[in-house]
Order: sequence, then structure tokens, then C-alpha cells
Amino acid sequence: MKMNLEVEVVENGSTTNVLLAGEIDAYTVPKLKEALLPLTERQNQLIEVNLEQVNYMDSTGLGVFISALKSTKQYKSELKLIRLQDKVKRLFEITGLDSIITIDSTVRGGNV
Amino acid sequence: MNKVNLDLENYRKLLKQYMITQDEKALYQAEQFTKLSMQHNISPEEIVNVHIQALKEIYPDLPKEIDDSMSFLLEAMISYGLAYQEFQSLREKQLELKSEISVAANMQQTLLSTVKPSIRGLDIGATSIPANQMSGDYYHFVKDNEDTLGIAIADVIGKGVPAALSMSMIKYSMDSFPLSQRNPSAILENLNRVVERNVDPSMFITMFYGLYDPKTSVFQYSSAGHEPGFYYNAKMDKFDEIKAKGLVLGVSNDTVYQQYELEINKGDMIILLTDGVTECRLADRFIERDEVLDVIKKFTHLPAQEAVEQVYKYFERLQDFQLRDDFTLIIIKKDV
Amino acid sequence: MDFQSCVKINREWDIVGARQIGREHAKKIGFGTVDQARIATAISELARNIYLYADTGKICFEIINEIDRKGLWILAVDNGPGIADISQVMEDGFSTSGGLGAGLPGVKRLMDQFDIISETGKGTEIRTVKWVRK
Repeated sequence: MKMNLEVEVVENGSTTNVLLAGEIDAYTVPKLKEALLPLTERQNQLIEVNLEQVNYMDSTGLGVFISALKSTKQYKSELKLIRLQDKVKRLFEITGLDSIITIDSTVRGGNV
Repeated sequence: MNKVNLDLENYRKLLKQYMITQDEKALYQAEQFTKLSMQHNISPEEIVNVHIQALKEIYPDLPKEIDDSMSFLLEAMISYGLAYQEFQSLREKQLELKSEISVAANMQQTLLSTVKPSIRGLDIGATSIPANQMSGDYYHFVKDNEDTLGIAIADVIGKGVPAALSMSMIKYSMDSFPLSQRNPSAILENLNRVVERNVDPSMFITMFYGLYDPKTSVFQYSSAGHEPGFYYNAKMDKFDEIKAKGLVLGVSNDTVYQQYELEINKGDMIILLTDGVTECRLADRFIERDEVLDVIKKFTHLPAQEAVEQVYKYFERLQDFQLRDDFTLIIIKKDV
Repeated sequence: MDFQSCVKINREWDIVGARQIGREHAKKIGFGTVDQARIATAISELARNIYLYADTGKICFEIINEIDRKGLWILAVDNGPGIADISQVMEDGFSTSGGLGAGLPGVKRLMDQFDIISETGKGTEIRTVKWVRK
């Protein structure tokens, strides 16, 4: 089954908005890694990743976010995930990553 | 039926037979002819050429237009022929790779194998089927003289040697200390430090570790971000999620793990699994966790080993025989 | 589901019979020439497996005539040795025909729906459907 991932990066001063759409798995992870990691290597930068249109993510996807988180600790930047779909959010919750990565609890489809 | 001969003469005979009788037998023999041709590396454009020659022999007055159209078709088929040759070459390469990986997979199996222990009063079933040749899932049983049972189930995210090494660490730390000193939270805390020191920052492990003491009927456990299992309470005839919170191994080197306890009584069951079970895809959506439980419930009346195998077969079929992730399922029933 | 017509597969010749009946059904239902050929090829593969590996078996057909679509159901059932590892048999490149693109993965590609149940020592049952393309 072919999986696709779209990555859109918009710079807004000290905040970088990353919009993701599609699926994050072993096939699309390299694309995500390539786009996301360099963004975290700037001090005091806030990288806000919007996952509203990500309807599937597996554990390899988590690996990228873990790398990104470690990178923000190293470069003193900040990572924030927003608008996660339920199944994706659950993955962060079960793995305990929701306690160390900032996840905006605004539910998808809430106040726009 | 006659054996199929691979030559122009034979093709012409078959073609002529079909043109006169239009019978299915000729078509079937044509199918056998092309299979044989492929085994002899005859390409599609050569078949078209044989066809043209045969036509000309059968119909010496063949209109020029038909001949031209066949030449046109021959050109079109050349690309297909090239693609076929590329496929052949890729297939050979794939076979080579597969056999290399087989060696690695065999090594993995040998070094990391676990024996299902036999413990009085417990019926244990376990199965782990990799999606590819090397498995990212790992489970391990340990038993000591007092019949205490240690059980680990883990899912390693990350590939290759570091991942396989992590599995060795899990096995080593379980095997090397007496079970009475191996409480689940300490095991996870130790393992976490080891994994975190590993080179690849995106590698992590989800793991569930449990310790069952038959003298007290208590099951102690901790979880490092692992997919929650299920617990069946026979008295209340109810299935519950085995709730345990904990951060996956390998992210932060000072993670502390909470330890939980369950009392296991006669007829109770513990069901442990990896996300290869819960991430089953159904047609256009993913399976829900309660649907997974419904499937498992279908088979829990069977002996534990048979039950896990039947559950696997069920999911295998549900996913069109192409599992996307390693599938690991353990069922422990308390009989007495 | 009651299948309208079945062809027993005992000798190699029966494969031809099954192809023929399948092709006739397909023509009646309204499949185009290429799809007719595809269906005959799928039947050939299924029947050939029964002929090669099982003592007895049959290929059955059922015409599906619904309001919004028409199709052909094909059932291949045998009492052969069964398939121990179905996932392996469904893998490209590893069919017993050795890279010729045929075998069960081939049947799956030729048809629209494909399902298989098999138990070692008991036999195999394969159900496939092809729909007429509008």
C-alpha cells in the first residue's frame, strides 16, 4: 500500500510552522526527518508542527519526533505539536511521549 | 497431452489449430508455450515475431497492412521485453539479498531464542511472526527454581545491529540475575539507560515486563510505553486493559518506572501483545482495540498455544496475508 | 452461496474444460475480450494447481447479476495437502512457477477480489470475483 506525506514549511519570525498531510511511516519518514531536523537546529526557534491532516502514523514516525525533541534540547529550540487526530494522539499517550513533548490538546475540529 | 515444443513450427501448429477450431485447448497450450518461452528467456517481441512468421506461412497472401500492423506491435512490445529483463535481474538480486538476510535472521533466532517454560498451574501460549525476515519484536521467558515466571515483551523501533543488540541486552539482563531481585521497574530503568546511550537518536524500545510469583499469585509489572495488554477476570467474566504508564526506553536517561500489581486467580488470563496485532488494517480503516479483543475472545476457550496460533491465522487472513508489522501475542491462563 | 456450475478437475484435460466454461460465462455476462482472456488465465492457474497438487477438486462458477453491477464468482476447492504458509505462497517471486508472474499472486492480479482458506491435511478453498468494468 503506497503511503504519501506532504510537508509544508512556513517561516514566521521566531516561529516555524510545519504543516503535514498524509501518512507517516517507514516509507515517508525519511522525508519528514529531512525537513524537520534542520529546523530544530536554531536557538530559540519555536517549531510548531500541525498534524491535523496526518491520518496515520506508526512507531517509526515517533522516532523522528524523538530525534527532533533531542535536537531541540541540544540546540535550545522548542518543539510543539498541534491538532493531532485521535489515533495519532493515542500513540503519543501510550508511549508516554505526551509527557515530554508539548502537545496542544486542542482537539481536531475544535475552534478554528 | 503432449509436451510443448519450443519452436516456430510448434507455434504455427497451435496458431493454425486455434484459427480453425477456436477451441480452448489451443489457448491452454499457448499458455504453456509462453511459460516455457519465458523460462528460456524469450522476450515478448520475439513471440510477436514468431507470430508474424507463422501467419505468413499459413497465409502466403497476407495483406501488407496486417504485416505492417504486426511490425508496429513488435516495436511496442520491446519495452515490455526490457521491463521483463529488468524484472529478472532484480529478482535474482532479491534472491541473493534474501539469502543473506536469512543467515542474519537465523543467527538472531538462535542467539535470542527463548523456551516457553512449563509452570505448574499455568497454560502459556506464545507466537511471534515477523513481517519481514528480521523481527523487530522480541519476547523472553525466564523461570527460576521457585517457579517464578519473568516475562518480557518488546518492540524495537530502529533497524539492524543496534536493534538486535538491544534485544540481546533484554535477554541478558533477564537471564543474569535471580528473579527475586528482578523487579520490573528496576529492569526497565536499567535497560532504559543502556538503550539511551545507543548511537541512533531515533531508536527506542517499547517494553512490558512482568513477574509472576505462584506462591502469592501476584503479577507485578511495569511498562515502558508498550501497547497495553488485556487481563481477564474469571470471577467477573470481564476483560480489562492492563493499565500501566511509562515512557518508552531510550529517550531520557533518568526515566523512572512505576510498578503495578494484579492478583491472578483461577481461570484468569493475561494477554500481552505488540502493536503488530492492534495496527491491523481492514479495507479502508484501522481495526479498533475492542475489535481486536473480540477476535481474541473467539479463541480463548482453546489451549493457550492453539489460541495464539488461531488468532494469528485470523489476522493474517484479515490483512490479505500481508502483515505490515511484526505480530507477537502471548496468552497466559491460570488453570488452578 | 450455491454455485451454478462446477467442473471437476481430475486430468489435465479438465483444465481446458474449466477455462472454456469460464470464458463462456464471461462472454455472456458482458466482459470484454481482454477480461475474458484474463479470467481464462486465472481459471487455468487455479485448475492447474488442483491438477498438480490435489487428488480431487473442482472449479465452480456463479454469475452475479445485481442492479448496479455484474460479475463472475469463481470458486476453486480441493482436498489436497493444503498450504502451510499462505503468506509465503502469496509473495511475488516465490511461487512454485518461479518468477513467471503466475501462481496465486498472479490470480490475485487478474481478478478484483481474492480470498483463500487453507488447512494442512484438509485442503484449500479459493474464492475470486471479477466485476464488469463500466
